[in-house]
Amino acid sequence: MAEGLRTAEQQRNSRTFGIEMRTNELNSAAEKVGNCFLSPNWNNSMDQSNPFESSLSSMASSPSASNAETVLPGYGDNVLIRKLIGRLENICDSTYISSQSLIKPSNNTPLNSIPKLNLPLMDSQIIENLNLPFSSDPGFVQRAARFSSFGGLNSSLGSQVKFPDSLDESFVSGKIQDSANARKRKSIHRRKAKETPSMAAAADAKVMLQFSSANYLDFCLSCQILIAPEFQIVAESNAKRSKQDGADEEHNGDGETENDGNRKQNKENSKVAEAPKDYVHVRARRGQATDSHSLAERVRREKISQRMKFLQDLVPGCNKVTGKAVMLDEIINYVQSLQRQVEFLSMKLATVNPGMNMNMEALLSKDMFGSHGSIPHTLCSNDSSAPPFSFGYQHQQGLSVHNAATGNTETRFSLNPLIPTLQKDRGPVDRLINANHQVGSFWEEDDLHSIVQMGLGQNQSQNHQAEGQVTDAMADKGVQELGRFAVEENNKGQQQKVEFSKVVQAAKKVDSGTKYFLRIDGSENGEKKSFNAEILVKPSKEKEMLSFSAAKL
Amino acid sequence: MNKYNPPRMNPSSLRSRFATRFLRSLSKINAKKPTASSSSPTEIFRRYRRIKVAADKSMAYSVRSRRTWSRAMLWKLRTRPCCRRSVKTSTIVRKTRHEKQNKNTTTTTGEDGVVFGVEADELRELVPGGEAMDLYNLLDETAHYIKCLTTQVQVMKKIADFYSP
Repeated sequence: MAEGLRTAEQQRNSRTFGIEMRTNELNSAAEKVGNCFLSPNWNNSMDQSNPFESSLSSMASSPSASNAETVLPGYGDNVLIRKLIGRLENICDSTYISSQSLIKPSNNTPLNSIPKLNLPLMDSQIIENLNLPFSSDPGFVQRAARFSSFGGLNSSLGSQVKFPDSLDESFVSGKIQDSANARKRKSIHRRKAKETPSMAAAADAKVMLQFSSANYLDFCLSCQILIAPEFQIVAESNAKRSKQDGADEEHNGDGETENDGNRKQNKENSKVAEAPKDYVHVRARRGQATDSHSLAERVRREKISQRMKFLQDLVPGCNKVTGKAVMLDEIINYVQSLQRQVEFLSMKLATVNPGMNMNMEALLSKDMFGSHGSIPHTLCSNDSSAPPFSFGYQHQQGLSVHNAATGNTETRFSLNPLIPTLQKDRGPVDRLINANHQVGSFWEEDDLHSIVQMGLGQNQSQNHQAEGQVTDAMADKGVQELGRFAVEENNKGQQQKVEFSKVVQAAKKVDSGTKYFLRIDGSENGEKKSFNAEILVKPSKEKEMLSFSAAKL
Repeated sequence: MNKYNPPRMNPSSLRSRFATRFLRSLSKINAKKPTASSSSPTEIFRRYRRIKVAADKSMAYSVRSRRTWSRAMLWKLRTRPCCRRSVKTSTIVRKTRHEKQNKNTTTTTGEDGVVFGVEADELRELVPGGEAMDLYNLLDETAHYIKCLTTQVQVMKKIADFYSP
């Protein structure tokens, strides 16, 4: 869907922007360029607008004819876009392209083969052609020569015409990824003035040929020259900026306002070099609507794409998914599955319930949680008094009585609300599982099994007491016996003998055998203390003590 | 002898805050067990709802008001009538949601609007308080919500695993 939209946009833009809008923009650009000429940066006279406007109008007319050629909709869109955008930011890359292709319009070969020597030749040619009003200033001439690379504007800009608004996440990501490469290329080029990458160069050469008009180059060069000093600074800082661009993806600054401010200054060149800050760079491409609304729109879209990428990292198993719609679907499914899991777990906790107090301390001793280790303890100290125990006791009685009757219903009940939801979302859950979605798989397999086992376990426990609180630990001789055993076992390994007094509380868990959690009152060195003990009674009636620890009172 | 010193986690992390609150509320819920009827399905259902509300509440309180979704959730929890009528409320809530689905889905402005029209609405339903947010903030809230949900699930899973093998 995203791709379809993109091509539709491309076509639309190529039709409209390519011909009409571009012309309009160029004309408006001419005025703005004229305005920038009037900026106090320039010492020269203000009579520069005329030759440039003429060149602008001529340029405006010339590319329109070339639109048909330069519309390359089917040209491997993504690749082209990425390469071109990368080179759009890479100002100096285009040095060669524009210069060389303009000098030799019939040259179709990749620009790699173009020798370097042409550059100075072209410079002189261009400078003559330009008839610059400030040719009197030798510094400008020099800079013009150096920054004739900005002629590359036309190449990348021209090709941008056709794909102005067709940016989407893939493109943006491509841009961000490629910009790093582009920067490297650019820095190399700037220093050594070498050839540009062949592929993009070939594409650009093809495009460039259409724009090969001296007027166009004049215009571009003049624009560049006018802002040459700024460009110098900007271009040099580009290398740094690009790295930042590639690295920092979370710039939510005033990219908007910055873009607007710059745009007003340099209409054409704002398309090439935006404010050198770490914001979300929004570059209005040639032919795109460059009013504040669309720029704001693009800023927003890039922010959204950043967020989508972040979410992609958050949701497991979404690395291969590209495209906003599918990604959103995955996110929705994931959130739904998480919410259902919470519901399911709360249901589980509701049914499992209770030797709560005892188990809290055992939980503490087991080091289940990190910092919560102390928390259940404090809770216990508040709750481990008689009343809760009596409640538990009564509940346990009730539970054991009702267990036989309600075991089945419980199972059914607990499964019922869940089964429809499970079946309904079988598809996405399967997808999640297939994508190695840990949580999802847990949800699918273990919880279901555990729920079934819980129900079954409760059915089985008809014969003996249900797990959880042992009723009347005091009176249960077996439990007292266990307590004694635990103390004896403990005393074997310890120097300080613990004297058994009584088992205060007991809870048990049916596992591989029966695990008893005992709370024993005893005295150690004559001091009354409480202990927690875990004892495993295996089916062979063999007792094994798992742990024995002092309970903090 | 057997001094127990658990390795300390970050006490102010989301996970520990949530676990603290949730365990506290769990113990409260378990403490006020009524008598014999507590194992009946209805009673279990009630406890389930209470526990679920407690989980949501403790999660929302752990996040305080820093996030839109937590504020919305807290507001929702506060304004819902008390436990007795919780079932009724949920049906009412479901009804309004259903009505929302019947409304024409509003698409977000811009070219993304066409893409995001339906899914964004679904997401808005899922994330509490999502109705009033634009797409960017919605995605932001979703990310944080997902993070909180995962911690919630982990803690509850640990508790549940502990209480039943």
